[in-house]
Amino acid sequence: MTIESAALLQVNDLTKHFPLSGGFFGRSAGVVRAVDSISFEVAPGETLGIVGESGCGKSTTARLLVNLIEPDSGQVILEGKRVGADMSVRDMRRHMQMVFQDSYASLNPRLTMEDSIAFGPNVNGMARQKALALAHDLLFRVGLEPRRFAGRYPHELSGGQRQRVNIARALAFSPKIVILDEAVSALDKSVEAQVLNLLADLKKELALTYIFISHDLNVVRHMSDRVMVMYLGQVAEIGPVDSLYSSPAHPYTRALLAAMPSMDPDKRTMEAPLAGDPPNPINPPPGCRFHTRCKFAQELCATEQPVLHILPQAHHLAACHAHIPNSGHSGLEGRA
Amino acid sequence: MTDNLVELRDLHVRFHGQRNVYAVNGIDLDLKAGETLGILGESGSGKSVTLKTLLRLLPENRTQISGDVRVAGQDVNALQGRALANHRGGVASMIFQDPMLALDPVYTIGEQIAEAVMRHEGASRAQGRARALDMLTRVRIPSPERRLNAYPHEMSGGMRQRAMIALALACRPKLLLADEPTTALDATVQIQILILLRELQAEFGMGMIFVTHDIGVAVEVSDRIAVMYAGQVVETGSVRDIIANPQHPYTRGLLAANLHGAVKGERLQAIPGAPPALETAPNNCSFAPRCLVKQESCEIALPPNVSLSPQRAVRCVHAAPVAAQTSPS
Repeated sequence: MTIESAALLQVNDLTKHFPLSGGFFGRSAGVVRAVDSISFEVAPGETLGIVGESGCGKSTTARLLVNLIEPDSGQVILEGKRVGADMSVRDMRRHMQMVFQDSYASLNPRLTMEDSIAFGPNVNGMARQKALALAHDLLFRVGLEPRRFAGRYPHELSGGQRQRVNIARALAFSPKIVILDEAVSALDKSVEAQVLNLLADLKKELALTYIFISHDLNVVRHMSDRVMVMYLGQVAEIGPVDSLYSSPAHPYTRALLAAMPSMDPDKRTMEAPLAGDPPNPINPPPGCRFHTRCKFAQELCATEQPVLHILPQAHHLAACHAHIPNSGHSGLEGRA
Repeated sequence: MTDNLVELRDLHVRFHGQRNVYAVNGIDLDLKAGETLGILGESGSGKSVTLKTLLRLLPENRTQISGDVRVAGQDVNALQGRALANHRGGVASMIFQDPMLALDPVYTIGEQIAEAVMRHEGASRAQGRARALDMLTRVRIPSPERRLNAYPHEMSGGMRQRAMIALALACRPKLLLADEPTTALDATVQIQILILLRELQAEFGMGMIFVTHDIGVAVEVSDRIAVMYAGQVVETGSVRDIIANPQHPYTRGLLAANLHGAVKGERLQAIPGAPPALETAPNNCSFAPRCLVKQESCEIALPPNVSLSPQRAVRCVHAAPVAAQTSPS
């Protein structure tokens, strides 16, 4: 069965709760609601940015998409085919590859660069010589001279070079989607810019679709067509990058943007937009999960969970009672 | 006698062992009392090593230090025993990126702060506890009475960072050294800590050296910025000058790579290549291999340290008045 949709990737009600052991007589001591019923689509050729603080579930979402963690419930639909039902996980992974933050931990220390890249195609049936030729081609594409780098081991490369190899390896299956989970976060600023340029070039050349996960709002803004803001396992706000950055609606998105260092010594940030740390995703607050830190919170927010709702003045969605007409919330203006 | 709180003169730091690393190669820096200097640099630029020489925290048997290191008039390299112990925590104090490693896991926050006060000021245990409570209040930890008896693992990341700041400032040091204290924190918590540090610095009137790789963070806290590359200070100036009118090609590259105001879809002006390994002492401009405007002379000799104004210096052959006309991108 195929599902009609213009989206390349469709995610419906994806959920993952991790039970905590260590309770009385081995009973569960609680549940980490890492990802709680999130839905989104990714159109072919676009870059979806995912932002949020630690514990918001952005990395878990990435791992659920490629089935590195099995979801509790929900569907991942790739090109109209439901992963697990109409398409095997193995087939899905040929189309959807991932690059991780730690470039060193993602590479086998005993394999040379060419072997690391050729390994996947090789075990999937490609002849070794052909796989090695592909590896050399990919090394060249990511800006590493094959003659110099093909025979090297991970410890002989710098962080930026290793991350280029990881990108090359992700491209070995000619995937449609590449998930970049904080892929540039560990790199120095000057090297980060090189890798971002490489990613932009590869996207254009190979007609790739990216899911770009980062905590750096500047990088996400530069890379993404649409942005999804997550908070404690749920989507707070999602929409086109310009609309979301120019008119953020959810109080959490506003706080995130306001927390960015100003870069102008005459306009330093004088007041922190939020107090305290992000709460633990173990047993998150009822109602709107943000209400414990939100200065606009009203009675309604503590009891009722807001759903994503199209914003009247902008072109994107936010899950906030204040923006839902007739919700009973008096809105963000005139208060606080 | 000068009024500088910190004076570094021609500081060289070399680590020896299986591999030689020339971590710091000739640094001159000054810090006035009550001033905040941001040291900006990438990993391996020597910024943390420079900071650690001020507290003599580098392993002595593997480190060779030359040059003058003075804090509040004291020659730090000459300090021994009791005097060194008094210097650490009494005159200068340091906060780190990871408070979990800086705090002792088997003592409560209150005990750790009280111990520092008792040791440095000869105070009684009760006085120490009272100071601990006062400090936790000043760093704005909610319900400080309760937190006095909390162990580090019982606190959240942002709270631990506040507790570490409270500990560092408990004996009213004249100098606070901050080594990337907000790098591991979430954005909304990072800005809280930056604002707190700014307020405490004004309140206590102490000098602060803040090491970071994030320009935005440096702008939020610093009066002056020193940009480091390959163990040298390549540019110093007021925050305004550095941001509005960067002179060294590396500083310009860093600012361009920061993505602030970068146009979407446009290529970033990335600095090509990677920082040098520093296995030998530099005898030419360390940045030359990555520099887009290098000349023959850059690869032959060390570039001059051109002083543009009393507060401003650039280590580059291009730092003549001509370079000032090219607009910063």
